[in-house]
Amino acid sequence: MTMHRALGWGLAALLLCSTAASAKTLVYCSEGSPENFTPALNTTGTSFDGARPVFDRLIEFKPGTIEIRPGLAESWDISPDGKTVTFHLRKGVKFGATKGFKPTRDFNADDVIFSFKRQSDPANPYNKIGGGKYDYYNDMDLPKLVTSIDRKDDYTVVFNLSEPNVTLLADMAMDFAAIQSAEFADAMMKAGTPQQFDQVPVGTGPFIFQSYQKDAVIRFKANPNYWGGKPPVDELVYAITPDATARYSKLKTNECQIASYPRPADLAEMQKDPELQVLSQPGLNIGYLSFNAQKPPFDKKEVRQALSMAIDRGAILKDVYLGAGQQAKNLIPPTMWAYNDAVVDYPYDPAKAKEMLAAAGVKSLDMDLWYMPVQRPYNPDAKRIAEMMQSDLAKVGVTAKLVTYEWGEYRKRLQAGEATAALFGWTGDNGDPDNFFFFLGCTDGKPAGQNAAKWCDPKFNQDLAKARQLSSQAERKKLYDEMQVIEHDQEPVLNIAHSVVFLPMRKNVTGYAMSPLGTHEFDHVDIK
Amino acid sequence: MIRFLVKRILLTVPTFIALIFLVFVAIRLVPGDPVEVRVGEHGISPERLALLRHELGLDQPVWKQFLDYLWQLGHGDFGRSLSTSNSVLGEFFTLFPATLELAAAGMLLAVVLGIPMGVVAAVKRGSIFDQGLMGLSVAGYSMPIFWWGLLLIMLVAERWGLAPVSGRLDFVRFDYDTPTGFMLIDSLLSGEDGAFVDALRHLMLPAIVLGTIPLAVIARMTRSSMLEVLSEDYVRTARAKGLSPFRVVGLHALRNALIPVVTVIGLMTGTLLAGAVLTETIFSWPGVGKWLIDAISRRDYPALEGGIILISALVILVNLVVDLVYGVINPRILHGR
Repeated sequence: MTMHRALGWGLAALLLCSTAASAKTLVYCSEGSPENFTPALNTTGTSFDGARPVFDRLIEFKPGTIEIRPGLAESWDISPDGKTVTFHLRKGVKFGATKGFKPTRDFNADDVIFSFKRQSDPANPYNKIGGGKYDYYNDMDLPKLVTSIDRKDDYTVVFNLSEPNVTLLADMAMDFAAIQSAEFADAMMKAGTPQQFDQVPVGTGPFIFQSYQKDAVIRFKANPNYWGGKPPVDELVYAITPDATARYSKLKTNECQIASYPRPADLAEMQKDPELQVLSQPGLNIGYLSFNAQKPPFDKKEVRQALSMAIDRGAILKDVYLGAGQQAKNLIPPTMWAYNDAVVDYPYDPAKAKEMLAAAGVKSLDMDLWYMPVQRPYNPDAKRIAEMMQSDLAKVGVTAKLVTYEWGEYRKRLQAGEATAALFGWTGDNGDPDNFFFFLGCTDGKPAGQNAAKWCDPKFNQDLAKARQLSSQAERKKLYDEMQVIEHDQEPVLNIAHSVVFLPMRKNVTGYAMSPLGTHEFDHVDIK
Repeated sequence: MIRFLVKRILLTVPTFIALIFLVFVAIRLVPGDPVEVRVGEHGISPERLALLRHELGLDQPVWKQFLDYLWQLGHGDFGRSLSTSNSVLGEFFTLFPATLELAAAGMLLAVVLGIPMGVVAAVKRGSIFDQGLMGLSVAGYSMPIFWWGLLLIMLVAERWGLAPVSGRLDFVRFDYDTPTGFMLIDSLLSGEDGAFVDALRHLMLPAIVLGTIPLAVIARMTRSSMLEVLSEDYVRTARAKGLSPFRVVGLHALRNALIPVVTVIGLMTGTLLAGAVLTETIFSWPGVGKWLIDAISRRDYPALEGGIILISALVILVNLVVDLVYGVINPRILHGR
């Protein structure tokens, strides 16, 4: 191809691109392929993002926040004993038609019952389809909490609970609670292709699924009948681009208008580019160092406090998070309503740390310091952080040996309580404070599996259980405030940082609200 | 000929069983099973872990799992991917055309450029062209693929706008079915204006990146093989008979010099099919390389085992074809077996 011809094609492509832009096609460079299109079966953000444009939930998060608002449920009532939640469903909501399936009825209670029964009832014909793991339904403890789901009438569904638990509402806004079409499920079952149900999403959401080519593209078109109003763009295309550098290049050449997960090293250049804008938001996460409170000398709170003061988190934030982090003093990030800003953070004070260790009778200490072998949203480089901590601890006479395992093995051993001190963290699922505090919780006086610190405090646990039963946010905040004070005093974990999440996009993209939960949503996005 | 083919095919059976066994055991030696890698920071209760393992048959002894798998394979069933629940065979053949298209384009580029370059370098031995070419081929051979790919993206795609950054098609302009999975063919079948050229433009940079190492190897191999042949008596005789330099080099010398080159092409085709992972990643090329890497990280045993077996079968097939091509180039080779 000669240079002239190539330039000719380039110009032609440019012209066509500009024509396409006027037809309002938004191209999002996503980082990978979804495992399938049934959120209940999945656990990764990539898979949730792939299906989200198509689905609604009973309850939704307000765009860019973790506040809940009505979704497919127009309203809900909680019984006085807190053990019955009644959802009143929206009427006149249409499911999107797709190749080979045209819905004959509007959304109703049958769809809600089906979407949850599939996950909870082994007798449901879809229960074992697609591997049938339903990790989130289990992780959120719903098998224990939800005793039954009843259909009162076409537009009323009742959730009966084993105990009052207000966090159910936030759970209902999570991806695993997406409402799928029971009619489509029946049609696929009758056709003898139930697996197809998980490959072709049929929902009531702002976009309608068009096609999917694995590792290449997912296409959606705007749902003209969307109950929340038709999205501003006509088409939404996910251009699956696993390499972060390639995503950035495509953003620069306008092959996509929004790109997921930028490389931290590219951020400075992106921010300088006049064609781009970079949105950022503190992530709903926490990276921490857990101390095993069941292993001496970490069973003494003074030792845990001293070690916390021996570590220079400011340096870690600067050198490892490269500015994309916020030093943490509480378990929950400051964007959450339950955040207790009155808690005073431990200073970096090696001299005081040394004194406290001596006072606690610790003259010399050899400890293991575990670091994760993988990058996580809350920790960009655990090994580097561990090395910096090792150096800081050496200054107060503590010898830390760095230890790591394969990621699955790491979590298993940590859960089993093998670690003395370990880097770990958490990313919030639903924006409810309980979803953070629970991982320091205990059941019947025994630390739960995810409690890496193996720390049990009766008052903390009492407050944790009580807060779940209260519907008043103000009342709950009082309890969470107290829990943060206890956690700070006891220091089972050293809170290191909440990472900041970035999202680059073209300057002409408007209306994008970054979700604190890290989800990507395009129903209000426009291209000017 | 048929006897030779049957013998070769039968010889692959033990190779296959050994290969399946190796893959089967090796992936299970890696810490973390498919259930454990799914578990995030949430953790998992021992009861649920045991239940999920049981459902996947992972609580059985490895020898039993292996025999069950062999039995399943014997019935042509490669199983279902643990992460997507799709049939492994279906996923493989959805993605494989992309890999094959890319590998074929890369190899075509390497052969079409590499052989003439090697021939000219040999004929003009010691010239600046020869030295420059060989220098370039060393550079091409030693160039890290990742770096080379990114460099081309930055210059050709970003700066000059001569090619798209990645992918197989401009998804904004074109939306058509891909019945064959080969984008060049599907673009022609679609009948959409400009689709073929667009598919070709998307193929250009990945093919250059993937073809660079084979190009360097083929050029060097052709050169050294040609040098050896050019010093043979029969070439001198051909020259003495007054044949034109083109006939001497292009017909008499090249045909004999090609045998080792064809061997290398065969071996490298296998490598390209299995090893296009980096190129596929850089250019978001939806092929089997990346699929296999994802299968490793997810401990998706059926996908990984099935993928490796299918790719190995194709590599063996390519080598079989290479053996047959030897016979075409020099019939004495086949008759001698």
